[in-house]
Amino acid sequence: MTYIPKFHASRRSVLKGSGAAFIGLTMMPRFALSQEEKKLNFYNWDTYIGETTLADFNEASGIEVKMDLYADNAELFAKLKEGNPGYDVIIPTNDYVERMMAAGMLDKLDKSKIPNMSNIADAFKDASFDPGRNYSVPYMWGTLGIGYRKSKVKDASSWKAVLAGDENAGRISLLGDGESVIGVALQYLGHSFNSVVPAEMKAAEELLIAGKKDVKVYADDNGQDLLASGEVDLAMEWNGDIIQVMSEDDDLSYSVPKEGSLLWQDCVCIPKGAPHPDNAHAFINYLLDADAGVKIADTIQYATANAAAKAKMDEAYTGNPGIFPPDDVIAKCEASLYSEEKTKLRNESWTRIQAA
Amino acid sequence: MARRTSIRGPLDYGKSPWLILFGFVTFIVLYAPIAQLIVFSFNDSKRNIVWRGFTTKYYAKAWNDASLVEAFTNSITIAVMCTVIATIIGTATALWLWRFRFPAKAAVEGIMALPIVIPEICMGVAVLVLYSRVGHWMRGFESGPIYWWNELFSIWPLNLGAITAAHIAFSFPFVAIVVRARLIGFNRELEEASKDLGASEWQTFWNVVLPFMMPGVVAGALLSFTLSLDDFVITFFTAGPETNTFPVKVYSLVRRGVSPDINAASTVLIVITLVATIIAMRMQAPSKSEG
Amino acid sequence: MESWKQNKVVFWVTALPGVVWLLLFFLIPLALIWGMSVGEKTSIIDIEITGTLDNYVRSFQAVYLKIIWKSIWISIVSTAVCLAIAYPIAFGICFSPARWRPFLLLLVILPFWINLLIRTYALIAVFRTRGTLNFTLEWLWNLAFLDRLVGPFQPLELLYNNGAVIVGMVYVFMPFMVLPLYATIERLDRSYLEASLDLGASQWRTFFSVTVPLTMPGIVSGIILVFIPMLGMFLVPDLLGGTNAIMIGNVITDQFKAANDWPFGAALSFLLMYVTFAALALRAFVSARIKGAVGV
Repeated sequence: MTYIPKFHASRRSVLKGSGAAFIGLTMMPRFALSQEEKKLNFYNWDTYIGETTLADFNEASGIEVKMDLYADNAELFAKLKEGNPGYDVIIPTNDYVERMMAAGMLDKLDKSKIPNMSNIADAFKDASFDPGRNYSVPYMWGTLGIGYRKSKVKDASSWKAVLAGDENAGRISLLGDGESVIGVALQYLGHSFNSVVPAEMKAAEELLIAGKKDVKVYADDNGQDLLASGEVDLAMEWNGDIIQVMSEDDDLSYSVPKEGSLLWQDCVCIPKGAPHPDNAHAFINYLLDADAGVKIADTIQYATANAAAKAKMDEAYTGNPGIFPPDDVIAKCEASLYSEEKTKLRNESWTRIQAA
Repeated sequence: MARRTSIRGPLDYGKSPWLILFGFVTFIVLYAPIAQLIVFSFNDSKRNIVWRGFTTKYYAKAWNDASLVEAFTNSITIAVMCTVIATIIGTATALWLWRFRFPAKAAVEGIMALPIVIPEICMGVAVLVLYSRVGHWMRGFESGPIYWWNELFSIWPLNLGAITAAHIAFSFPFVAIVVRARLIGFNRELEEASKDLGASEWQTFWNVVLPFMMPGVVAGALLSFTLSLDDFVITFFTAGPETNTFPVKVYSLVRRGVSPDINAASTVLIVITLVATIIAMRMQAPSKSEG
Repeated sequence: MESWKQNKVVFWVTALPGVVWLLLFFLIPLALIWGMSVGEKTSIIDIEITGTLDNYVRSFQAVYLKIIWKSIWISIVSTAVCLAIAYPIAFGICFSPARWRPFLLLLVILPFWINLLIRTYALIAVFRTRGTLNFTLEWLWNLAFLDRLVGPFQPLELLYNNGAVIVGMVYVFMPFMVLPLYATIERLDRSYLEASLDLGASQWRTFFSVTVPLTMPGIVSGIILVFIPMLGMFLVPDLLGGTNAIMIGNVITDQFKAANDWPFGAALSFLLMYVTFAALALRAFVSARIKGAVGV
């Protein structure tokens, strides 16, 4: 028992800002102290922040950001479901924002602490999944589409190329994410991405089962690697991933099929029980800053929802149809809507497709 | 350890050309991907698909990535703590099940096999649920012994305790199985002879039983180290922002393609292991000749 | 074997650590999950234990049984291949000079201290269409002028099928087979082998009639350590398998993650455990008969 008071003293000195000698001291800071220590735990996707953003923020605010990475939304959700292990800022996609809001897993944002919210592009100032933007701030948005090798593929303007692609049999990869694949199959058949109508779902399932013989693999978010390494010639993937490999290989291209596609939006949120909510607000405000936004968009090459940052970007970025698709393309795209029933039906259907 | 070393002629399988050839081919297959990995850690390409020239910059990048180094340190620390404790518990359990007859033994044996049987993800979620419930209750204390306990267990490396405890739980049954397979061939008369000659229970264990089962214990320890060092699923559910491990880190990094800095970190791990083992073997060599 | 009453101190000293640890960090959490398997989702995050058997009933749908069956046969084939490779390796290590043994053993284990995922990706880099193996083969092909005689080299499509899953499984689980085999072969009393050979049995006969029965405990524990974790594996089929690769481990993982259906995931996990226990019971029965037949 003797060293415990000593330990307590050293804890205070750490909190005064004398350094990070004890890495693990942040677990319970909210009980005894009103002043937040200068730390922030950021839970993010891989390669989804500017190269110097965290260091720049540290310089501007003195807050040290520690970033952990997750591979998909389901993982983020599963990890936070039983309680927040200590994260302050997370970046879920729109349907998961909706799900986490419904589950009471997000903290309401204090907008007075985020003056840069005025930088958000008008189209994103409000959102159907979060009316009034009380829980989420838009970060990046994009589409699902087809990445393909121009020299090998004649026509990638329709989902037919990957869903019923006899011409490129065995050279196709689809996403491993059943909800999106089934949604896209529904769109190809002329239905809504979010349909739960039994007959439509069944038709989509049959289409995907029939198309299986031509598909090489259901890839877990690495379709761009399969495409770049020549393993496949057509890959259903997220636009930013394909644009990243396009910069290394001129023979690759990206298209959003004419039947329409999925339009997604990743949002910055504060999970309930965040140990450093003040720092989290400061960080979110910083992400919405014009110059910080430029650096982020420059690195990750996704479409930013930060209008002030977009205004400062060059033509190569803002004029790239892969990043900012024309309005008529966007008009045909749909957002994924959250519903427990849809998740369950899609998952069962996806299991049947894989087992067939 | 007393070993029969002078075996010649038909039993000299170690010199059988077929066996040597088989072993050689197996090792090549086993190491081909590793060689690939090491070579590609020097590849000057972010995407790592084709060779684009030699560089060592990814070693510098891995070294300067504080979170990678921290995850690395955490992993090794957990693996070492887990190996020591799991080997002790596993060996005790093996001795217990091997030596004693007691009511409902078959049921106990079945339960001991559970951690091997259960799908990892299920155990991961189970541990997550347990820890979050206990944690929730414990965080309710703002003073008193449980508060101090919380504080104490937020210091490194004690904050790794929760993960380590789970690792021990799933790895010690592996140790027990391996040690017990070894013990089945033990001649119990040796033990009785030792006791007849006046040795205590402990002396008999230390001087007779333990030396016999040592290869099993070593194999078990290696297994539990391997299990702990490579565990992703269970750790993923128990790790927080301060307690990331290397596999959890790697998992999130490589899902979108392996970058060379991960290959570099793995190469460093291989080199560290090799060097540590060679040193350990050198240090062990003289004591062997004495015994 | 002695009765536990004969030496209570040793009994408790050896029994308690394992029992207590298992209870605290395994059985209690497992009980929570078991509760979920007979529970229902009442909201996105809440699960109420209602004693329902619906989740188990759902597991008996044809699609899940089909996937379980597939997992079983993939695991059986992978375990057999694993044993066929690991036995000679463990045997060779045991019969090598004593000072080489720790080094050789380490050589077997070393690749497994590299992260599973990194290792699997390295495997992919070797085997993919434009991977090291195909490049090497193409080089050899051209070296032998086969490109002029037969035609250009056609790269082998080695990944994304069941064969790749089996290779990946074997690659991942090798040490779990080698180590228990090593521990038992190492204590093999060589005088039995000498006696067998002296009495005129051939090397093969000696191997199958003497060595294998004597090392049976190691073989059995190796099979258990390899086969069971293979059943629940999800990463390997995920990364190396094609469109049919789904195994029960993937379905269970999906329930705990994307589908957010923990009760069903728990029920499937327990179903898998019941199947495994049936297999273990069968094993005990068979091994009792083998023991009786061989007289060991």
